Amino acid sequence: MDVAGYIWLGILAVFQGPELSFLGFSLPATPVMVLCGFLLGIMVGATPGLAGPMAMAISLPILISSFGYNPDALLPVMGFLIGVMKGSTIGGAVPAILFNTPGTPDAYMTTLDGYPMTRRGKARKALRVAHFSSASGDTFSDVVLILCAPFLAVLVEAYLDLPEKTALLILSLAFIAAVIGGSIGKGLIATGLGLLAAYVGTGDDFYPRLSMGTQELAQGFPITTAVLGVLILGEVFKGIEDSLRHATSPGALQEVREEGDQSLRATDIRRILPFIGRSAVIGTAIGALPGVGSTLAATLGYTVGRNRHARRKAPDHKDFGEGAMEGIASTEAANSSVSGANLIPVLSLGIPGNAAAVFLILAAESIGGFNPGPTVFKFTTDSVNPELVVAFGLFTTMFIANALNWTVGGVFMRTMSVMIRIPKHILLPCVLLLTLTAIYVQETRLVAIWFAIGFGVLGYLMRRTGISPLPFVIAFILGGKLEETARQAFAATGGDPFFLFSSPVALLLMALTLVVILTSLRPKKEPASP
Amino acid sequence: MTSKTRANLFIGLGCLALGLVVAFIWVPLDTDTGLIEKVRRRVSIGDALAPTIAAAFVGLGGLLLLLSERNAEVQPFPSRNNLRFVLFFLVMLVIVFGVMRWAGPFAVQLTGSDEPYRTLRDTAPWKWIGFALGGFGLVVSLISAVERRLRLRTVIIGVAAVIALIAIFDLPFDDLLLPPNGDV
Repeated sequence: MDVAGYIWLGILAVFQGPELSFLGFSLPATPVMVLCGFLLGIMVGATPGLAGPMAMAISLPILISSFGYNPDALLPVMGFLIGVMKGSTIGGAVPAILFNTPGTPDAYMTTLDGYPMTRRGKARKALRVAHFSSASGDTFSDVVLILCAPFLAVLVEAYLDLPEKTALLILSLAFIAAVIGGSIGKGLIATGLGLLAAYVGTGDDFYPRLSMGTQELAQGFPITTAVLGVLILGEVFKGIEDSLRHATSPGALQEVREEGDQSLRATDIRRILPFIGRSAVIGTAIGALPGVGSTLAATLGYTVGRNRHARRKAPDHKDFGEGAMEGIASTEAANSSVSGANLIPVLSLGIPGNAAAVFLILAAESIGGFNPGPTVFKFTTDSVNPELVVAFGLFTTMFIANALNWTVGGVFMRTMSVMIRIPKHILLPCVLLLTLTAIYVQETRLVAIWFAIGFGVLGYLMRRTGISPLPFVIAFILGGKLEETARQAFAATGGDPFFLFSSPVALLLMALTLVVILTSLRPKKEPASP
Repeated sequence: MTSKTRANLFIGLGCLALGLVVAFIWVPLDTDTGLIEKVRRRVSIGDALAPTIAAAFVGLGGLLLLLSERNAEVQPFPSRNNLRFVLFFLVMLVIVFGVMRWAGPFAVQLTGSDEPYRTLRDTAPWKWIGFALGGFGLVVSLISAVERRLRLRTVIIGVAAVIALIAIFDLPFDDLLLPPNGDV
């Protein structure tokens, strides 16, 4: 089968896959789930204290229970998660613009110009700029993903053998440890702890290693307990403690007054397009690197946009920080273009780059039948590669989410200002109960809940000590794969202890690992204030 | 030098010690194969290698904190209040999950039923008792702790949260068990 055939099969898998019955009508489940995920994502993004990964974590067991553990469930479930991922990014701009409160961390820069515009009576215009920029950046990023991921995967399969793949995994872990959180020491600690947790109760030998002879540890830590514990419960614990210490009520919100023209005219679009273009490229480039998040993309996009604006702005246009719509455009295009590009390392290398990608991998692992990585993109001609059909199905769901973003996204986003009224101290205990229940229904043993709480405490302490939990989670997910690849490489090279340095490519990758670590050890310059 | 500026020193030392303990005590004592195994002239990687490397990562991270980031300007560290919160939280969770675990069997005993809870654990209303009481306790106690009083609104939220979760996880699915029904 040729490439066009696979693309067509992917589209068919989305529209002719499992069906949902609604008011007597049968609807294709995947597009419906993308819509539901997208709308939920906007709601979650617009709610300070919640985030896309939280909604993905909580939804996953419900989705899997609804669609079952079979390959037919892959596209509806992953389509939903992709919808949440995209929706939460644009949702984060709503409270940032209207109430000076970023719904998601990457929307912080949006407050700098969004809120001043609101104070000038241009709230709806600011929301329209944010939506247009976000949807543009997102679409650009998805196109790059679809063009790059298959080629990168084919290159990896063609040129990397087992020792090189092992070296690539080590490089990825070192890179993630170095760039997330800004401290290589703390990054390595988080990575080491994640690997250690992954190796408990596993191994090739009859005795499950590091299990201390207990039945509970002999089965290892379920992936959901580690991921949800460190990523979600840790954040919930911290949020609850913050609420305890600073008990505040949201109080009455200032009414948003509007003055003058609120529409986004062609002249406005011409003004912001250069900023969107630059930020989309920055966000996509950053998103393609594992571990570098959308917050950095937003900061860089804003900084580059501000410098350009300072050089070229018309005298009557506002400066960045004073309510310039170019500032909103720079930020929103940059943080939205991260989401598609973040899937490049997931689909081409099997390496999750951010928390949202972690949940996509978790979904694929839980359901089965799809192992993100270079083997997905095997264009077999004599038979159909079902994983490749799923990959093209996922690309289709991304375009559906894009279409929704351009059509209903803006309208729905502008109605979400009400979400800021939900007090965090009421939301978080409900999220805690929901997360623990979701873990239990998947694992069906109370010890899993205690594992999750233990990981939650670990995640909480990591946050309190300035250690990012993301390297822990990514190392936990990649730990088994790294060991398995290393074992195979060791065996394939006849027990060569220097297999990581035996080929030029492996040597280059290991040298890059060293460069990444050494570079991050250099003292950092003080960043310029945005 | 304040404790705040010594945070990286404490974390670094702690992680270095943890790495050494894992690599030289826990891994050798708790794995059956070594770093490298030789079985019938075939050399393979043993089960101890991967966790030892993981411990090396932890130790190396600690060492880097000690050597290069010891004087970093920002060095967050959990305060005594933070640790007190963790303790409070864990005690509360133990109580709540204790209620969740034992409320169902206790209710069956109270009614004098001949059947043990285990046979009733997938039957309404028994299957909901533990989850409802424990879940309600969790939500209400946390919200009340923040608000420093128990309000009717909080009770309604607790009831609504439990009913919503039963509606999401239990009513539509025959094959899912709410906590604690998989363990009893």
